[in-house]
Amino acid sequence: MSVVQNDVVKSEKIEPWKINFKPMILGLLAITAIMLTARWYQQWAAWDYGLDASDPLFDVYWMKVFWAQLIIEPILFFVFVGYLWLTRDTHLNQLSKREELNKMMFWISMLVVYAFSFYFAGSFYAEQDASWHQTVVRDTSFTPSHIFLFYMCMPVFIIIGFSLFFYAITRLPFFAEKISVPLLLVVCGPFMLLPTVGYNEWGHAFWLMEEYFTVPLHWGFVFFGWSIIALGGLLVQILGYMSSDLLPKVLNEKGELTS
Amino acid sequence: MSLTAEEAKLLKAISVPNSDAAKIVRNFDWIVVVVLLFAVTAAFHIHFMLTAGDWDFWVDWKDRMYWVTLTPMILVIIPAALSYPLMHKLGLPIAGTVCGLCLVIGEWVSRISGFHLWAYFPYSLVWPAIVLPGLMLMDLFYMLFRNVFLASVFGGGAVAMAFAPANWPILAPYHVPVVHIEQLVNVADVIGYSFTRTATPEYLRFIERGTLRTFGGESTLVSTFFSAFVCMILFYMWWRIGQFLSNLGTIPNQLKTFVGLEADKDEAK
Repeated sequence: MSVVQNDVVKSEKIEPWKINFKPMILGLLAITAIMLTARWYQQWAAWDYGLDASDPLFDVYWMKVFWAQLIIEPILFFVFVGYLWLTRDTHLNQLSKREELNKMMFWISMLVVYAFSFYFAGSFYAEQDASWHQTVVRDTSFTPSHIFLFYMCMPVFIIIGFSLFFYAITRLPFFAEKISVPLLLVVCGPFMLLPTVGYNEWGHAFWLMEEYFTVPLHWGFVFFGWSIIALGGLLVQILGYMSSDLLPKVLNEKGELTS
Repeated sequence: MSLTAEEAKLLKAISVPNSDAAKIVRNFDWIVVVVLLFAVTAAFHIHFMLTAGDWDFWVDWKDRMYWVTLTPMILVIIPAALSYPLMHKLGLPIAGTVCGLCLVIGEWVSRISGFHLWAYFPYSLVWPAIVLPGLMLMDLFYMLFRNVFLASVFGGGAVAMAFAPANWPILAPYHVPVVHIEQLVNVADVIGYSFTRTATPEYLRFIERGTLRTFGGESTLVSTFFSAFVCMILFYMWWRIGQFLSNLGTIPNQLKTFVGLEADKDEAK
């Protein structure tokens, strides 16, 4: 088969810049659907079946949700993180700069999904917890508020956070060469909110404290929440790398992609 | 700060309208803006609700002592820390405004969905404090002085100095005195009595120490000045913490050989 001029030109043609926002939008829609369904369920089942932990209906409508979460979430964690590790790029040293740019922008767009899921844990469901527990005195650690805040919202952002971390160290040379400490903090700090639940529930049970949302018992959540400040450091690192290394290698002075 | 040759080339490239470079940078900017909005809302809101939340949740907790003293101190912490990467590194004097805006949005969504629609409290009981004026002044002073020490003194102080005046117009009607079961109370108290909560047994409510009124009877003013003093120190401390967290750097990756990268020389030995 002969090679014609058109084929040569076609093979050297540089693909124009286009970012794929579909995974980010799908992620945002999935998180929105999960969180709004949970909020609807609370409105429907909390006052009728969620006031008394010794009521058999509490087991039916609330503890079943809790056990389902405890089964589904670890499976999802290992599926996502395991998939990212097993399908890692084993020749990262040969990755072209253009491909790296595509992957870097995709990864940054997925940070939106991580931040969105963290919003529900740190803001929406967290403050809602105050409204419930200052109205309905708790008689168990697994209340209609906690079942979604601690055992749904937190695992969801932990799964996304660790997936992003593993994507970064298996597909992005910048993060694979050396581990970014701000990235570690942005993923591991919010993760530590979940173990803090252990101390929180122990304290609530031991001291039977309900009166304040600002009790020192809750300050562990505050401490680990501060780790998100490291997002500023991560941004500075990414900007530094992209502006001094990555972008100059794929762009010419006219602003066109060169590879 | 001088640009490297590579950065200068990049700056020239992104200034070409509708070029690939301009599109990449525009995409990047918008993604970062959305990430920051969600992340700051979550981080600032959880920090605020667990350290000053009770005073912010309920109108009968909005007193002239702890609310006025504590709230600005808690407010200044995260904006001060984020001022380092946003203003010092990127030249954007927006940390206070962004944090304040995110907090207000996060709070209102929660007050409507959680406090009002789920727990059935009226809005008159659960409105959040007005925090934006002080935080915007903080940004303004940092932008004008471009100096962290002066920003701490004037910007940090402004967060506290603006807090009580900004909230007075909305709070004043709740402090109108009324007689309730032969006791002189205020409107906020009556609303609070009507909606019993676990956080309001009388023996636990700190309203105001009588001794605080001895300085001309102005508890709010005394509390505000004390808060401003602490905010100045907190701004500087947390700006430094922001600096530390923004310059943490990297650590060796022990797993890099699994992705086809060469092991660090020290490890290879």
